[in-house]
Amino acid sequence: METTEQKTTEEQPTEEPIDDPTIGTVLVVGAGIAGIRAALDLAETGYRVVLTDSSPAIGGILSKLDYQFPSDHCGMCKMLPVVGREYASQYCMRKSLLHDNIKILPFTEVTRVDGQPGAFEVELVKRARHVDTEVCIGTGYCADVCPVEVPDAFNQGLTKRKAVFQPVPHNLPNMYLIDMQACTRCGECVKVCPVDAINLEASDESLTFTFDSIIFAVGCELYNPANTIDLGGYGIYPNVVTSLEFERILSASGGYDGEVRRPSDGKPVSRIAWLQCVGSRNRKAGRDYCSSICCMFALKEAVLAHEKSSSPIETTIFYMDMRTFGKDFYRYRERAEEEYGVKLVRCRVHDVDAMPDDSVIVRYLDPKDGSWHRETFDIVVLSTGQAPPKDREKLAEMLGIAPSQMGFFPTHELDRVKSEREGVFMCGSLTGLTDIGEAMTSGSAAASEASKLMRSMGKRHKEEIAFPPERQTARELPKVTVILCRWNEGKMPPGVDIEKIKERLSRRSSVGEVHVVDTVCRGPGFEQSKAILEQTKGNRVLFGACLPYVYRQRLKLIAQKAGFNPALVEVEDIRSVIQRLRKEEPFDALTRRVGQNLDVAVERLKNSDALHVKSIPILQQALIVGAGVAGMRSALSLAERGVQVHLLEKSGDLGGLVAAKLRYTLDGLDPVKLVSDIKQRVWENKRITTHTNAEILKSSGSLGRFETVIRNGDNEQLVILHGATIIATGGRDAKTDQYAYGQSDQIVTQSELEQGVSSGKLDAKKLNNVVMIQCVGSREKGAHEYCSRICCAAALKNSFRILSDNPEARIVVLYRDMMTYGFSEQYYTKARGQGVMFTNFDLDRKPSVVVDNGKPVVRYFDPVVREEFETEPDLLVLSTGIEADPSNRALAEIFGVALTPDGFFQEADSKWRPVDFLKEGIFVAGSAHSPQKLSEVITQAEAAAQRAFTYLSRGSVTTARIVSTVHDAICSRCQLCVEVCPYGARTYEPMEKRIVVDEAACQGCGLCAAACPNSASELQGLHEKKAMAAIDAYLQEISL
Amino acid sequence: MSKFATVKTNNGINRSIAELFRQMLEKQVIKAVLIPAKQPSSQMVMQTLITNPNALDTIDPFAPVSAVSSAKSAAALTNRSSGEPIAAVMRNCEIRAFIELVKLHQGSTDDLIVIGTDCLGRYENREFLKLAGEQKELTTAFLAQAAGDKRYEKVVGAEITTACKSCLYPIPKRADVNLCIVGAKPGEAIWLEAQSEKGEEALGALGLETTDEVPAGRQKAVDKLIADNSAFREKNLAAFAKKTENIDGLSAILSSCINCYNCRVACPVCYCRECVFVTDTFRHDGEQYLKWSEKRGKIKVPTDTVFYHLTRMIHMSTLCVGCGQCSSACPNDIPLSELFATVADRTQKRFEYLPGRDLQEGQPLATFHTDEFNDVTGQVK
Repeated sequence: METTEQKTTEEQPTEEPIDDPTIGTVLVVGAGIAGIRAALDLAETGYRVVLTDSSPAIGGILSKLDYQFPSDHCGMCKMLPVVGREYASQYCMRKSLLHDNIKILPFTEVTRVDGQPGAFEVELVKRARHVDTEVCIGTGYCADVCPVEVPDAFNQGLTKRKAVFQPVPHNLPNMYLIDMQACTRCGECVKVCPVDAINLEASDESLTFTFDSIIFAVGCELYNPANTIDLGGYGIYPNVVTSLEFERILSASGGYDGEVRRPSDGKPVSRIAWLQCVGSRNRKAGRDYCSSICCMFALKEAVLAHEKSSSPIETTIFYMDMRTFGKDFYRYRERAEEEYGVKLVRCRVHDVDAMPDDSVIVRYLDPKDGSWHRETFDIVVLSTGQAPPKDREKLAEMLGIAPSQMGFFPTHELDRVKSEREGVFMCGSLTGLTDIGEAMTSGSAAASEASKLMRSMGKRHKEEIAFPPERQTARELPKVTVILCRWNEGKMPPGVDIEKIKERLSRRSSVGEVHVVDTVCRGPGFEQSKAILEQTKGNRVLFGACLPYVYRQRLKLIAQKAGFNPALVEVEDIRSVIQRLRKEEPFDALTRRVGQNLDVAVERLKNSDALHVKSIPILQQALIVGAGVAGMRSALSLAERGVQVHLLEKSGDLGGLVAAKLRYTLDGLDPVKLVSDIKQRVWENKRITTHTNAEILKSSGSLGRFETVIRNGDNEQLVILHGATIIATGGRDAKTDQYAYGQSDQIVTQSELEQGVSSGKLDAKKLNNVVMIQCVGSREKGAHEYCSRICCAAALKNSFRILSDNPEARIVVLYRDMMTYGFSEQYYTKARGQGVMFTNFDLDRKPSVVVDNGKPVVRYFDPVVREEFETEPDLLVLSTGIEADPSNRALAEIFGVALTPDGFFQEADSKWRPVDFLKEGIFVAGSAHSPQKLSEVITQAEAAAQRAFTYLSRGSVTTARIVSTVHDAICSRCQLCVEVCPYGARTYEPMEKRIVVDEAACQGCGLCAAACPNSASELQGLHEKKAMAAIDAYLQEISL
Repeated sequence: MSKFATVKTNNGINRSIAELFRQMLEKQVIKAVLIPAKQPSSQMVMQTLITNPNALDTIDPFAPVSAVSSAKSAAALTNRSSGEPIAAVMRNCEIRAFIELVKLHQGSTDDLIVIGTDCLGRYENREFLKLAGEQKELTTAFLAQAAGDKRYEKVVGAEITTACKSCLYPIPKRADVNLCIVGAKPGEAIWLEAQSEKGEEALGALGLETTDEVPAGRQKAVDKLIADNSAFREKNLAAFAKKTENIDGLSAILSSCINCYNCRVACPVCYCRECVFVTDTFRHDGEQYLKWSEKRGKIKVPTDTVFYHLTRMIHMSTLCVGCGQCSSACPNDIPLSELFATVADRTQKRFEYLPGRDLQEGQPLATFHTDEFNDVTGQVK
């Protein structure tokens, strides 16, 4: 540990979290995806972030999930900055994350929080890893000699690991850690470590920092079914597993090589069952909530099981309600059933039992035929839902706030990310039950609140690092200065003949000096390298060192400080080759191999040119389309941070659908007051210019500088210049002609019922017999093929409203799946307790309505008693849901963004970028995205404002160095590159007759370069000549 | 649904067709026509842009030669269009290549009336010049012979190109108007087939009576022509595939390549303004040549020969229409047309793409599907 104290720190941008007290600094506790989203949003805005996690790795639960619906791929990297890529890592986030403004402290706990906003004093305890990650070069010799084997928690115990181990196998750098509970302290690892990185006596380290704001994102647990009272079997029968265990069985890194096999005997699987709601929707156990994620989780696992199995398999999901309430969830369910044949059985299974061969028997009553079944499965997966975080009491005590009855953290009813303690925010599943998209949204919303707070306290953003002027290399022939690391030679087992490599490189005409230093990354070697770089006459730099992921940044930075353009600096990992091949190849061959790799790097450098970032000016003005709750909230959020906002509304008044239609909510909020308050604040805010009765005529431009022409209420044309756009146009009440709607005034929609009883036009006291029909025109082919998300809650709140006026009323709710996800489950429970009758129906047996003498007559089938009923209700209430406004189509065209097949706006990625569009600088919030609850709308509006603010906070943003470019002289204008660009970063400019690249939008993916036959399109710094030179250098010593 | 009109050709096929274009020019249906015509003081027939009706005397649209693919000529005329309506008379391979060029924004159909011609094949340029020098009415003889007129069998006496003998698409389907001779007696009458609305308008402007019925005998003759070509093609390509089944076979076929790049210039779908093989990408340092030689003790110069052809296969094989211009252009008789047909057959099948089939059909490289080639990419769908 002593060596770490000596290392130089000033070259490491993320080493000291707080070096300038005027720069806003935030602690984010919990490096799961919500915490990472919050941290990245703040870092992109220019604030300093310290991101801690109690586990030794980042990524939380998502580091174990290889596949997410609807794409059935991982997409975590989509969280990474799209603009300003130079400051962050740009590779798989399941490996690691680097950002200049984020300091990550894994294996660290928060033990004390004192003070107030702007001056929180926080004590952090860095738990001892016993392996110094600053020194460890990942040889793995320690794990080779470790005699202890224990089950690997990463694979949910399906595989084994050593006491010294890598907590997440795919992390980079893959740092070791000693599990002191398993360690026998035999000391073998200490002996073999070539760099003395292991210290068995190391102890925890306590640090105290000051932060302006704190965001808690410590997540939740997954319910442990070993304690279940519902079903036996888990922990007894080997083929009964949890959904997360099954995820590891599916994973290529899960120890089963991605084949779907039984844990008991490794045999391929042919029948799998999922049992839903294990540990959720259980009032007796104090968990009267829906875990929200498990239905989609099970559907996805079933689809994946079909795809991963080499032979046909059968899959069955036993469920209570199939809660496909999110955007496009219902279509995924349809796909699972129709394309893959996933069987869905609505029932809570009676019990599970095992056969002598470890197959699992499931007994259940199928409501379809009303009879008992006994089926055998190879694997039974328990869909174990989200459960409160394990250290909730400790956390609550530390913050001085109490967890709610169900163990999650109470937050402000509308501002879901605000905690009861000022300056402390929460996001992710700590605040309730979230899927990936909601975790992203709440992470951004928490960042937004922290950013608003810091702004109000006058905290600054971080300025960019200024570097000395660059050496002018354009007119010189390439000369590479090589610095080779000897890695503390004494202790290292023989690897390669470094002098021979030096000699080999020195013979190359494009190599100038070759230096050999001890440990280039730290200590005297580091200082020596700096001195070499200051004095060298070379114009390109090549480091031959180890673990390039860790040191590349540090080494590139010292080269940059010595005036080298980063594109002219390469760090070649010469250590891992030796590591990998030392046992197989003789000394000479290894030396040649390393020499050859360095040759390749020299070829690359020789063919490299200096690349520069460009600064794109950002107009600090926003255009927000739609002045409903989402639009007004986004407008206020940005205006409070100094952004000038133009708020556009097509109607004559602010408030949108909430103002027009919403009178009360299921959770007892007062939407009328909410709207009038927020309207008041919008009118009073000097930075918000409101345009009512406005129409958008056209819009052009790109991130930082959009130009939109509108016609306002006075029929004047105005040109608005803005740096970012938020689309918040909302949705509208869907109309229907089903179930005899329109034929009787006793047939109304849920919304009309709400209006009626609120205005007094409808007397709930006179309603003795009410029938409600759910999913009218929703979740059906040929109708709206999605769940409107709010109608089940509407049916419940209107039932309560009727019952409060007339407790004797008989209410029957005819439903398909009650979508009371999350904590609204408790209202469903309450309604049943109050005698509301819920009767399920299937699409193939929908209720029917005829109007007789002006009165509705409803006929429906009750699957429990298996009988048809007929009733003449006083009121038939239809849940018609929310639909997209048809005007979205024109808007989407004007702004160059996409719509879903249902006419809502299509975000960049439903999971990882829920409020961004693929087109940079445009964001979406509220029901324009998809139908949602009021509190969800507010969180999303805040998130969209934050995403916009990451750009609007600065006068300019920088493009990446590696972006695509066009050589006009040889370009044939075939526009293949325009067609293939997934980011819309290329356009054909008809006036100039040439292809234009939007460098902020370009992500350097290279599709354009691949599509272009003659390299007229090229990725800067990655041209074909360079690639071919590198290939030639590789092939030089390989005999084909 | 196409419509047919009959045109008498008793006075000679060229004169009858000239009469049609004269009317179109005079009625200002078109401003000019691009059409194969005899060149002054030569037997050569080349594409000619005619604006003066009197110049139509020299046209010879069915001459069995195509010195330069007119796909590129049509693209050049329409890429930055004059805005005036033009007709272009082309064979089907040329039309198909032109459609691909339009997709690549190298040409446009906006101001163009595409006049197709049934194609019975073409001679290599040398052969044509020789035969045309020997026989005054070569085109008439060629068509009559193809129509089964025994009198001409000996008179013509040369073989059409291998590419033409292998052609699966000799009859245009995407022209505006097609000049049909297959199944007809070209000495008596030919048929005009309107294949688009634009084509129907053109026939209307000419005052021709049309019918929906396919002329008697045509379909059978078309089927036979394609069946014969298909049989030849299969046999020929099978033999060629055997010769080139490994890199040694391929190198042997290409060993006489002199990097003249004629094949690329002749290729109607090779559209780059400047080929990557003449850019700096392939201008190597002397050090590099030496290293290559050192590796195996020797290296053939010029280098990049096989690489050049492989690159062209990657760039062009999905768009290859099998016109055979590459083979015709090669000074060393490399069977490039067979090489490209063999590769194109497989790449086009893989992408389910047929160049020139439909202007609306996106080219493989410009079309993105999320689930595509999972067998190659190895990703889960």
